[in-house]
Formats: sequence, structure tokens, C-alpha cells
Amino acid sequence: MYFHSLPFLIFFLIVYPAYLAVKRTKLRLPFLLAASYFFYGWLNPLYVVLIAYSSALDYWVVKRMAGSRHRKSWLAVSITNNLGLLGFFKYGAFVTDNINLLLSSLRIPYEVPSPGILLPAGLSFYIFQSLSYTIDYYRGNIERETSFIRYATFVSLFPRLLMGPIERAKNLLPQMHKSPRICGGDIADGLSMFVVGLFKKVALADYLALYVNKVYASPDQFQSPALILATFLFAWQIYFDFSGYTDMARGVARMMGFRLMLNFNNPYLAASLGDFWGRWHISLSTWFKDYLYIPLGGNRKGTFSTYRNMFLVMVISGLWHGAAWTFVIWGALHAAGRFFTRELERTAFYKEKVPRLLKQLLVFAFVTFAWIFFKAASISDAWVIVTRIFSSGWADPRCPVLALALIFAVWLYQYSYESKIGWVLELKPVRVGFVVAMILYLIVFAPSSDQAFIYMQF
Amino acid sequence: MKRESIQDVGKNEDVAFGSNAIRLSGWEWIIVAIICLTAFLFAPSLWGQLGEIKSGSDYRLPYKLGSDYWLYGRLCRKACSQYETVLIGDSVVWGHYVPADGTLSHYLNEYTGQDQFANLGVDGFHPAALWGLLKYYGREISNKKVIVHLNPLWMSNRKQDLQTDKEYRFNHPKLVPQFRPKIPCYKDPWSERMSVTIGHHVPFLGWTAHLRTAYFENMDVPAWTAEHPYENPLRAITLELPAAKEDNPQDYRPWTERRMPKQDFQWVELETSLQWKLFRRSIELLKARNNTVFVLVGPFNEHMLTGESPGIYSKMKSGIESWFRQNNIPYFLPEALPSNLYSDASHPLPEGYALIARKILEDESFQSSILSR
Repeated sequence: MYFHSLPFLIFFLIVYPAYLAVKRTKLRLPFLLAASYFFYGWLNPLYVVLIAYSSALDYWVVKRMAGSRHRKSWLAVSITNNLGLLGFFKYGAFVTDNINLLLSSLRIPYEVPSPGILLPAGLSFYIFQSLSYTIDYYRGNIERETSFIRYATFVSLFPRLLMGPIERAKNLLPQMHKSPRICGGDIADGLSMFVVGLFKKVALADYLALYVNKVYASPDQFQSPALILATFLFAWQIYFDFSGYTDMARGVARMMGFRLMLNFNNPYLAASLGDFWGRWHISLSTWFKDYLYIPLGGNRKGTFSTYRNMFLVMVISGLWHGAAWTFVIWGALHAAGRFFTRELERTAFYKEKVPRLLKQLLVFAFVTFAWIFFKAASISDAWVIVTRIFSSGWADPRCPVLALALIFAVWLYQYSYESKIGWVLELKPVRVGFVVAMILYLIVFAPSSDQAFIYMQF
Repeated sequence: MKRESIQDVGKNEDVAFGSNAIRLSGWEWIIVAIICLTAFLFAPSLWGQLGEIKSGSDYRLPYKLGSDYWLYGRLCRKACSQYETVLIGDSVVWGHYVPADGTLSHYLNEYTGQDQFANLGVDGFHPAALWGLLKYYGREISNKKVIVHLNPLWMSNRKQDLQTDKEYRFNHPKLVPQFRPKIPCYKDPWSERMSVTIGHHVPFLGWTAHLRTAYFENMDVPAWTAEHPYENPLRAITLELPAAKEDNPQDYRPWTERRMPKQDFQWVELETSLQWKLFRRSIELLKARNNTVFVLVGPFNEHMLTGESPGIYSKMKSGIESWFRQNNIPYFLPEALPSNLYSDASHPLPEGYALIARKILEDESFQSSILSR
């Protein structure tokens, strides 16, 4: 169930008061676990079996790891199991399709049957979250969680279950060890986050989707201006969609006394690609940094190794998003971008002479260009879009001016927030005014939205 | 490396609130709630005071605003304050093929020499939808004289009677009972039905729906801007209602000239008819609001019936009359008009409406219930 849906509202209106009633009792975690499994099972009851299995196996693996001389083997069991699940559900069809393509090109008359399996929602997120626990324990960074109920609740906590943030055990598990003290400030903060997230998703992301989907569905029917604008709008759509979900997730969690990590930090104000990845989907980028980039050697073994590791991380990050070559290309593009900009950013000219605003615009332009490969249905579609952007003529794009105005308003807000005049946005009338405007806009103008979140497909 | 106790790790970490300044305190949320609640409660009535419905004896709800139920509520209020008698029903009352001065209400006013009949018909309003319209948006129709039209067409087959198991997208689904009685062909998800039910009880939501219907071509604003990318949506919202343009399909040819074939209508059983059941509920609802109710049935174009349908229709008419008599509801069930005065199975031509008006004015029960002072 989506946060912006009536079923979720009813679910929360039942669960929240009950949670407040049991939060100081022994029923707290079992209740939270049951509610989270109900939330997940609403999509498909079989999903609950999968998450329970994944949680149970990692819990058991870490238990076996404790005091064992074969800790590395147990870690391998966890990694194999988790990546195996991911591989089977997420990449099964992709792998068989490519094998069949290879067999066909070699004229071998055999076809591997496609598994035809639906990817369980949230799998990519909670698998990584669970893996972080086993790896952190193996490394000695954290003590073993002795309660299976607590551990299972950590993995399945419903506000963050479907689309993250990918929490670390060291942040979230301690919060589950004590009864949360939920004060009025937590509820006020949670509501603030939730309303912002709801506005981003319903008023902004779903609005931009109207134009983006129309153009990207048939890119050969549109000229350069429409393709450019659709790509520009998609850059903001995916940001509003994903960060909107995260805001709502954090808001719900905050009202329940949990503090989830910040996952988006105005990424389109980044002045470098490194900065961008420090602001976009922070929980995933830090996960890859801590569990892949650094173990591969990070930047400690020379330039070639650094770039090799960066490339691998970005390509795998692309693959994490989806089982398609377009995501691989997207990741590779970002890797190439990092290579180039890393050297550029070391030059005195770039560091001292190029205005920060120009750097931000350049980064945004590059990231937006890369989004073409993220959004396009196939490589050939992406190629059509790229070539037509540069070669097709002018035609009226008929892009809603209101959409562009809203994006500009958001960008101006974010730019001001990080500038010297950010204090203006902290003034009470301004904050209250923004919230009233968002709520009234949502009720009066926004559609009743039933659009799924983009990142749920990952 | 010292292993941190799982209880200790994270104690001193400060998780950032967010990447914007929109963080309200409890008191500030109360201020927001007061402002929003004020807008919620007063915006619809304030809007109603500022804008005016241009009415007149031949005024009827503009064709394109047939699904603007909030506006219909305002029209009811105005009509009930100015007219002694209101006519409610579907496109037969509204006048689907005729201009505003060719309707039944027009001829009733003309022949009585008084401006006492108001046209509150709405195109496409089958009895199941009429019930919802009266229940949620017709509260102003109380202590009035009401002529309710029953169009037998809505019982002419199982599909029109909403009884098919296969999903059927019928008119005005938001007005039919969302849960009970169960409407087999209505398959919208329960969450959608709950939203609809809540919307009926919140005037603000009805008002926002009015804005969409009246000013944004029945689309939400984002979709409207996709069609009108360079227009300012705020400028589209005026206090002026769309004029009651004659944009309905006016066709004055009789059904025979339009080459409409005769049909063997598959009339449903009256006892199991959903439309008839909900029509009876509408009558009961009107009576409970202290209205004097008079029912006009048809007249259906019986010249179009073939096969066994004339006999079955006759039996159905008897059943309808029987119920009216048992419940002391004055009614008029005229004989079929001459064939050339129908434009289709149920809609008369202007001369047909004129004839119905003359006949109904001669009816004793009509005189005693509606014309008496």
C-alpha cells in the first residue's frame, strides 16, 4: 500500500494508536513486526514468507558466526543467500534473455526458459539492509542481536520497507532496544516530513510524469525541445518521487519514535559528481562505499585501482537499479563522469575560477543527460532520444509552463536554503505559509493519485 | 577493534532532520490546522455567495456540467427559493434533444401562465444516481412540490438496470450506493468507494470537484495544463459559470426518420429491478423531507416495441401503478404519444413535451396535489 493511499491511511489510523498503547510493554516489537508483515503482505502474502526466510537465515548465520572459527564461511553463506535471492528474483529473466541472445547468435538451437518471476517489492532494499548487519558483525563493528523478533523488525520495519532508506544496524537496532519516547516534537517533525513528501510525490512527481511518459513512450514522434524538456522534467520527477517517498517514510517513522537517516540532501545543488553521490540516495551510495568500494581498496592503491573500483561500484550500482543494459550504461556514464571530473576538479582553474553556480549547472546537465539511459525503455530508445536531441528540428514542445514554474520554485527554495539568505526560510510565517500552501494545493488542485513510486520497481 | 554494544551505538548520533526548513512545531501545526480548517469550512459557502447562477424560468444545468453535483446543490437552493414546484429526473426532464424553451417545465409555465415550475433535470440521471443526487446534494428540496419523472428505459434490460455481472461503466457512478445494495456491474475498488462516500459528506471536496468540472473541462489541474500548456490555471477560475449554452445534440427528427429500428426490449422484472428499488427510495426520501411528490411515468415510445415486449411492458406499468396506489403517491402515466412526436425510445420532441404538459394539467390528481394552493 502506498503512503498516499486510503488503505495506508486506514492502516496507520489503526496501527498508530495501538502502537502508542503497547510501546512501553513487551508487545511493542511483536506488534510492530506483525504490522510490518501485514503491510508487506498487503502487496502479496508470499512476500512475507520471503522476508521472514531472509531475516531468519541472517539471524541464524550471525548466531553461528559468534565464537566460530569459520566466521568467513558463515559470512559467505549470508552473502550467497542474499545475493542469490536478489539474482534469482531480479536478474533471472535478464540473465536468461542474454544467454538466449548469445545462444541464438552462435546458432545453437536451444533456449533457456525464462523464470517469469515477479520481483518482490522492496527486495533490493531489505536484502542490502540485512547484509549490512552480517558484514558489520563479521568486521567486529557491532554486537550480535540476540532477539530474533527485534532483528526481524529491524529488517521489515514498515515505513522503510519498500523503498528504504537502507538503514545500518548500528543506527536502527539501538533504537529498538528501548521504548521510544514520543513527544509532541516527534509528531510535529513527522508530520512536517510527511507533508513535504506527500507534496513532492502527488503534486510534483505525478504531475511531471504526465509529460515525461507521453514523450518517452514515443520519442521518435517528438523533436528536440520536447525531448530536452521531458528529460529535464524526468530528472526532477525521479527526485521528487524517490525523495518524496523517503520523506514520508521518515515522517511516519519519526511519529513512531524512530529516526531514519537522511537519504536526499538537495542533490541538484551538487557542485561535483562526488558531491552529487553524497547527496543522492545517500543510504545506497554509502552502502556501496563501505561494503564494496573500500573492501576493493578504495583510493588507497593508486590511480588505476581507484578508477577500476569506482567503475565497478558505479556499474554495479546501475545494475542494482534494474536488470537491463540501460542501467549498466547509466552506471558506466557516471563512472566516466567521475573519472573526468575528478581530474578536472584538481586543477586550480576549476577550483578557483569557475563559479559555484556554473559547477552546479554543469553537474546537473550531466546527471540529467545520464537519466536518459535510466528512463528509456531500451538502448535503442535511449539512442533515438540522444540523437534526436541533437539532430531533430524545432517544434512547439507544449510543455506545461506551470510544471516548469513549480520546478523553478523548488530549485530557488533549495538554492536559497543553502545560501546566506537561508535564514529567511526559517522564519515562522514563511514555514507556516509554505505548509498551508502545500496542503491547500494538494486538496484543491492535485489529482487523486494512484501512481506507483518509480523506485518500487527496483 | 572494540565492539560497540548494540545498545550503545547510535546514542550520540544526531540524525539530520532534513534538507529543507519546513519543520513546524506543535503550535505552528495548530495554526496550520486552523487556517486549513477555516478554508475547508468556509470556502465553499463563500464561493457560493460571490458567484451567481444566472437563472430564469427556462434555466437548466448546463449540459457539460451534468456531473457538477456541488453546483446542482446550489441550483436546487436557488430554484427552491424562487419556484413553487421543481421537476427532477433524467434527460427527459432536462430536454436532451430540445432547447431550453422546448422542455416540459417550459410548457407547464406557459400553459399555466405562471413561472412556477423549475427544471432540475440532469442528463443521464438514472434512478440509482438520482437517489444519490437527492440524498447528498438535493437537501434543499424540502417542503416543496416535486414532480419526479420515472423513465422506464432504465429498466429495459439488465444492463440498464445495472444487474449484469460483467463490469459496465454507467453514468454517474459516484452517486449510486457504494456498498449497499450491491450493484453487480459496479466494480470499483473499495478504497475508491470509500473516497467517494467521504467526498459526499465533505462540502469542500464537492466544491473542488466543481472547480474541476466548471473551469477545467472536468480534468484535474495537472491534466488540464497538459492540454493547455501555456495558459494560467488561476486565470481559468472565474466566478462566472459557463453559460447555459445550447450545446446538447438538438435533433428534431422523429425516430422513424432517424431510422431507429423497433426493438424487443428485455424488460427486467419489477420485483428484482435495482433501478425501480432505488427510485422508490428516492420517493421515500423526498416524502421524508416533507415534499408533496407527484410522479410522471414515461410516456415511453411504445411504437418502438416488438415481440413480447409490449405485453411485458404493460405488466410492468401495472406493477408501477399498483405501488403508487398502495403508497398514496399521486402519479400520471399517460398513454403513448403519437409516434412522430418521439425522437427516440423515451425522449419527446418539443411538440411532444407540449402535449404531455396539456395532458398532465388536465389530470385531477395533478391539479389537487401540485396546482392547488
